[in-house]
Amino acid sequence: MDYPEPQVEELKRYCRKLGAVQEGGVTFYSLEGLCLPAGCDPPVCDALLCPTSRDQYPSRLFLSVKVKSPYDRNWNRENARIGEKNWFAFSWKVEGANLTLAQILTGHLLGFTKPK
Amino acid sequence: MDIPETSQHSDHGVAHPEPPHGRTFQVRIDEEQVLLHEQHPTGEDLLESVDKRPCAYALIQLLRHDEQRTIPPDDRVDLGAPGVDRFVTVHKEIVTITIDGDPYEIQSGNRTVAEILDKVGKTPDAYALLEEKDGPPLPLPSNQPVPIEGCEVFHTQVQSGGSS
Repeated sequence: MDYPEPQVEELKRYCRKLGAVQEGGVTFYSLEGLCLPAGCDPPVCDALLCPTSRDQYPSRLFLSVKVKSPYDRNWNRENARIGEKNWFAFSWKVEGANLTLAQILTGHLLGFTKPK
Repeated sequence: MDIPETSQHSDHGVAHPEPPHGRTFQVRIDEEQVLLHEQHPTGEDLLESVDKRPCAYALIQLLRHDEQRTIPPDDRVDLGAPGVDRFVTVHKEIVTITIDGDPYEIQSGNRTVAEILDKVGKTPDAYALLEEKDGPPLPLPSNQPVPIEGCEVFHTQVQSGGSS
């Protein structure tokens, strides 16, 4: 799925370097140095945003480390091999119609800031 | 309060309706000496000259005889008038924050996410609060206090996620 350029540009605000990884016909947005919400440890890490359906989730955010956050999360995907790197993801479903890429991303980041 | 003696401008000390070309006005704001080229700056202009903003600070003019006058951000002062050269800034108790692009007043100090969302008639059940602070808008943990000093920029976002 192609996203409008302004939406892709908006993602740049959240990270040090934005790129794309193609694997298995899926486009992942690579967010190098992604800023995480207050209270997260580490405060910055690399991430891959898959804005399309995967693992029975409407979208997924893969992180380079298992982030410690104010709320414990169920890390149900460990060492997922994508783009020749290992990634971690917690169980978090972001739903909503016509969400922009940044809204999908912040929807996942909300997972670190709310109880459930 | 120890109010310093009000001084005249070094070059004139007399009010001028229009400043001659190139004239500068020296004022003291807190402990800082500031040179301004505008004879009639606003309160906001004066605050900006010391890197402060009216969303967090009030500007007070020091007058003779221990008198003071608060200068609202949009009010202009005549720096050419005698004695108009001493100001202090005070951190406000009630400050202004921005939520979804609109200004709101709130008590400074630690506030809850719910208190801030309440300003726009929203609740944490339905909306997340994001803060734009030296970077992109990031969600704030709902279980931690939000320090408010004034001028903070917040956004709200429909709660679109949940554990599954």
